[in-house]
Amino acid sequence: MSKLPVWLRTLSNASASLVLGFLVLPIFAVVPASFNKASYIALPPRDYSGIWYERFLDDAEWQTSLFNSFQVALLATAAAVLLGTLAAIGLRRLDGRWRAGITALFLAPMIVPVVVTAVALYRSALDAGLSGTMIGMSLGHMILALPFVIINVGIALRGVDDNWVRAASGLGGSPWTVFRTITLPNIVPGIVGGAIFSFITSFDEVVVAVFLAGYSNKTLPVKIWESIRLEFTPVIAVAATMMILLAVVLFVVAQFSSRNSGAHAR
Amino acid sequence: MTSTGLPLRLDAVSKRYGDVVALAPTGLDVAAGEFLTLLGPSGSGKTTLLNLIAGYVEPTSGTVEIGPRNVTKLPARQRNIGMVFQNYALFPHMSVGENIAYGLVVRGIAKSEVRRRVAEVLSLMQLDQFADRAIQKMSGGQQQRVALARALVIEPDVLLMDEPLSALDKQLRRNVQLELRRLHRKHGRTTIYVTHDQEEALVLSDRIAVMDEGRIQQLGSVDDIYDRPANSFVAGFIGESNLLPVTVTSTVGDMATADVEAFGRTVTLPASPGVAPGAPARLLLRPEHLLFNQTEDGVPAEITETVYLGELSQYEAVLANGQTLSVRQITDRSIQAGTKVKLSWKPDHARVVAESPKTGGPI
Repeated sequence: MSKLPVWLRTLSNASASLVLGFLVLPIFAVVPASFNKASYIALPPRDYSGIWYERFLDDAEWQTSLFNSFQVALLATAAAVLLGTLAAIGLRRLDGRWRAGITALFLAPMIVPVVVTAVALYRSALDAGLSGTMIGMSLGHMILALPFVIINVGIALRGVDDNWVRAASGLGGSPWTVFRTITLPNIVPGIVGGAIFSFITSFDEVVVAVFLAGYSNKTLPVKIWESIRLEFTPVIAVAATMMILLAVVLFVVAQFSSRNSGAHAR
Repeated sequence: MTSTGLPLRLDAVSKRYGDVVALAPTGLDVAAGEFLTLLGPSGSGKTTLLNLIAGYVEPTSGTVEIGPRNVTKLPARQRNIGMVFQNYALFPHMSVGENIAYGLVVRGIAKSEVRRRVAEVLSLMQLDQFADRAIQKMSGGQQQRVALARALVIEPDVLLMDEPLSALDKQLRRNVQLELRRLHRKHGRTTIYVTHDQEEALVLSDRIAVMDEGRIQQLGSVDDIYDRPANSFVAGFIGESNLLPVTVTSTVGDMATADVEAFGRTVTLPASPGVAPGAPARLLLRPEHLLFNQTEDGVPAEITETVYLGELSQYEAVLANGQTLSVRQITDRSIQAGTKVKLSWKPDHARVVAESPKTGGPI
């Protein structure tokens, strides 16, 4: 980079900033919009106030949807972390040919259009009696989140030397002890990263949720989606701000946990 | 830390991967407290054999016995072996002390006892001040000692070492070899040591098993292997050697009579087992056993190159038929490239050896 002429470097920095701004600014525009005093969304707001935050927090429906989102995201994350970690360990033990094929299968939810997954899940949920239930939504989100756990834990497992495991079992450790004391501590950063991505995936997921949510258990994105068609008040911007805040916090946590994992890498 | 470990007995163990024979059926008896080295090039089966003893690889056939126990079907964790890996395989998330204590902790030994034994082995390995140090902060040589300490602290019946010095630089390797020998005298445990470095094998071992092509080519003391190699592979792999093709015409006892084409004459010399009329064989002449002399019965040769190594010199001598021999002798400044010499050897230092499919060379 440093060998580029100054004008080219300036140009490259400027265009990078433009792209970044194009991607990020519209998202953060909802933050000032949420502090508008008027009852419509406008940028920039003429008068500022926290009134829509009050409205958001006083409204039982918004509160319930926020709570539902947390509940679904936590359930989906727990299930995805458990199954995804096991899957990643299993995949690592497979020999090459099988591993590639089965990995592709596990990562499919990332590639298949979400609406296709959603329709398929909707149909199956009806048959299984899970349509409109929290469990149904959590399982649907788990499927979408699974690839993130498998990828993150898979990368972490690559840093676990087979000889550590052999050494530990040679020293008398049972397979479970060896997993608990050797493998697990060395893949925790991957598990944490996978869990954070799972949580974000579920928390801001709308397509599967629209198909599977019942009347009484809408998640926050579903509630936003419905509200935006009825009324266009800054309370939607408030809800969106809440989601952005959470995503940013989790992203920062993820960055820190992956940085810490670097300290243990050889 | 006074017991000497247990004897080890392998009976016709073999390992195949599909059609590939990693280890042909092999028998091996190791005495309690013995230091035995498996020496061979990569792919010779030495690491497979070590892993079979450790229990990391299941044999295709045969049995493994450690002391009175048949451990063939037991996993590594039930064999009470101590293993030192080539890359040490130290646990990166644990301190030096925790690494060493691991084998005792998983055995459920009381904390005070663990502390006592870890302290004991730390002082044996001169690592006392490092107990709380992170693994990443230890040098290569120190890590090697931690790996050995972790293997020794569980008082293994057999200590296994897989090329433990290959990651160290040459000077350090030399020191650690002597250190390992000193330690072996102290702890006295049955030790199986894998290496491809012949010098390491010669320094450390009570006995050496030279391996190639999935077989033990020769098992014997350092002297046996060097002075009485079983075949041309062993002769070529250990030390430097000149190996000339010969035609064996007759054998009597352990003596063979053979025509040496390169010399245009017939010799009668001690022979290794397997030498027989008609079977391919080689004449082994070590460079240091070839002499220059002026007598008429020497083999005429011309010096093509001299390399001064100080007190000794290495000479390349070409025979009448174009074959080149290496000679290592006390430096004689009158011998230069182009000098005509007569070569001879002491009869008890020349030997006819069976030719193996592949002739070893130093690596």
